[in-house]
This record gives sequence, C-alpha cells and structure tokens, in this order.
Amino acid sequence: MKFPTWKNLALIMLAAGVWLAPSAGPAAAGDGPALNVTLQAPAGVLKMGDTPNFLGAVTNLSRQPAQGLVVYLSLVSLAPGDEHPVDLEDWSAQKAVRLDLLNPGASDYRHWGMRLIAAGKYGVVLTVVDPRENRPIVSDLVPFEIKPKATLIAGRVLPVALGEPLLILFLWGGMVFYNFRSYHKPKAEELG
Amino acid sequence: MNALLTLIKREFQEDFQASRGAVFLLIATVVLSSFAVLLVSNTELSLLDNAQAVYMMAGIIIALAALVAVIRGSDGFAGERDRETLEPLLLAPITGRRLAEAKLCGLLCSWLVLFILALPYLWAVGSTGQNLLPAVQYLFLTGTLMVLLFGGAALALSAKMRSFKGVLSLGLALLLFLGSPIVLGPSLRQSYVGRMLDLANPLAGALNTLDSVIIDSQGVALQLVRLTIMIAYSLAVLWFLKAVTRRIEP
Repeated sequence: MKFPTWKNLALIMLAAGVWLAPSAGPAAAGDGPALNVTLQAPAGVLKMGDTPNFLGAVTNLSRQPAQGLVVYLSLVSLAPGDEHPVDLEDWSAQKAVRLDLLNPGASDYRHWGMRLIAAGKYGVVLTVVDPRENRPIVSDLVPFEIKPKATLIAGRVLPVALGEPLLILFLWGGMVFYNFRSYHKPKAEELG
Repeated sequence: MNALLTLIKREFQEDFQASRGAVFLLIATVVLSSFAVLLVSNTELSLLDNAQAVYMMAGIIIALAALVAVIRGSDGFAGERDRETLEPLLLAPITGRRLAEAKLCGLLCSWLVLFILALPYLWAVGSTGQNLLPAVQYLFLTGTLMVLLFGGAALALSAKMRSFKGVLSLGLALLLFLGSPIVLGPSLRQSYVGRMLDLANPLAGALNTLDSVIIDSQGVALQLVRLTIMIAYSLAVLWFLKAVTRRIEP
C-alpha cells in the first residue's frame, strides 16, 4: 500500500473542508432564516444640511418566516487618521426599527433619512439582528462624502457680537456723563 | 390710572436710567455675544445648521429672560422692604394689586428690551437658514409667558416673604427644578414618564415649542397643547399674585 504524499493529503483535507463547510454555517443548517441586507446611497453630491434618504432592503431568503428582527443603521467617520463611530443623535431621528415578521421570500424596503450635520468622509452600514442567530448580518459599507457648507458666517456674527456690548457701554457712558453734567451745572440763581 | 402710570414710569427709570439697568443690559449682551463667538470660533459648531444655531440662541434667551424675571420679581416687594422703601410706597393712594401690576409691567419692559437686544444675534446666526421669522414670533410668545410665569411667581413670593435673599433662593431653586429635566438625555425623555414630565414642565414646554417650530418646521396645530399648558400656568400664577397682593405687609 502506498501512503499518500503531502500534496495528496492537503488536497484530501481541502476537499473535506469544502464538503463540511456548509453544514458548519448556522443559516444553512435549516433551523433559521437566511437574510440578505443591502443599503443604497442616494445619488448626487451630498452637502451639509441635506437630508438624503438611504434605501435599505432586508430580504428573507429562507423557507421560514423571520420574526422579531432588529434593523439598525450605523455611521462611521472615515476621515483619514480620525476614524471613529458617529453618534446618530443629531443625524437621524430613526436609528432602529423592529420587524415583527418577514415572510419567506419577502423584502422590507425602508428609507433611512439622515440629516447631514458635519462635512467629511463617512461610511454607513445597515445591520440586522435575528434573535435566533448568534451572528448579525451586515450590509456592505456604503461610503459617501459630505461637502462642507458655511452656515455661520463670522463676518456677520462678529460685528453684532462685538458691537452690541460696545453700544450699550457707549450709551451708559453717555448717560452717566449727561447726569454728571446736569448735576454739576450751575443753576441760574447761583450765578446771580 | 395716573398713579399706575407713575409707578410704571418709576419702575422703568429704576431699570434703565440707573446703573443697575445698564449692568443688566451689558451682562445680557455679553452672554449672547460670548455664545455667538463660541458658535463661529468652534469648527464643529460653526458648521451647525442655521436653524440649530437659532434654536440654541433662542434657548439661551429664554433662560436669560426667566433668570432676570426671577431676580427682578424677587426684588419687587422684598427688595423694597429690605431697602425700607416699601412703607412709603404703600402710603401712596394705590392698592397692592395695582402696585403688583406696575411691577409686572416693569418686568415685561425688561423682557421687551432683552428681546430687542437679542434680535440682531438671531439675525446674525440664522438669516441664511430657514424659519427665522417663526423663531422670532415664537420666542416672543414663549418668552413673554415665561416672564409672566417666573416673574409673577417671584413677585407673589416677594409680597409674602420678608427677605429678598429668601425669595431669591426659592425662585432660583424653582427655576433649577424646572430646568433640571432639560439636561436629561433625549432617551430618558422619550419614555412615557419622561414625556409626561416634559408636558407638565412649562420651561421644557417653551423649549420644545421652539425646537418643534425652528428645527422641525412644524405648524401651530402641533404647538397648541404646549401653548395651552404654558398659558394655564401663567394664568394660575397671575391669579396667585392677585390673591397675595390684596393686602401687602410693610
């Protein structure tokens, strides 16, 4: 009997791995629904102050209904050197939704409105959590860029911010001076 | 009527011709200027939406108006009593209620001056955005209600309590108490109890009205409940003021 060479052994292990791999995944085990989630960025240039809608779709690919799905949006800043997750507090009124039931083959399409607060490079993903699965399903990262837009103009704010207190000071000084002059003005009878 | 007009004139002169009035106006403008400079000097804040900046500015104006109303209202009778000028005032041929009306008119005049001073700031931060005119209209309305409420309550307490410090402490504690839920995070205020507290709190009502009008561009129909509650509080305070100033102790 001829022992297999290392090369043949590696091929056998690879083949066994391919054969065994589908049964290791929870979705293919047949005990839970397989879901697909996609997210689509709005067309056109985005700039600060805009309120674009990102179109999200969750599809149930399995033969079983999916129940109690939690779908939520995540935003991350992709500014080079300053990558960080962004709190959606000011950006989006709708941060998460619960899908009570998603029948086999059905899709849930939803617009995720977002208010673009700050300029920069960002990425957004949609995540679906199935309570019966131990791994969330995440859409592809949708990168987008927000162009800056000057909203508060220093040339308009600073003259008011500096001018008003100075005006009040000037008026106060004038009033004090006027009262001082009136008080110390010699009266007609004193002049004789 | 003439006596009432004389008293209103006296209140106005005390506020705006004396150094006290000028200092109040100067402090108010310095606070508004500091905030405006902060908005443009901070990179992140300067990129704020105009409506958001107008709302923040309006919130500061409301807080300033309520604070000034509490301070001025506390001084109304208790301050006069501390300075020993209340007794001669009570000798004048005018009822306590008329006296309270004159003091309340003085408070409203202070608010009107503060509002006029605040207009250029609102214009500076919000003229390129949306909802500036509704912001000004609702700021005037909610600010007037807050001044009537806080100023009226402080004035009523001032008529009953002996010392200015006592009334001021109580008035400021009331202002802090009503202002405290606002610092809670939005998630806590989203709950049923949080929403009820927000609805029952007139200061939160004023700020939520401004938020709704300026940021969310919502119409008057959505403000009616909050405005009705604020008006009801103001009327209750005015009724209380009327009741306690029927007879004022020197």
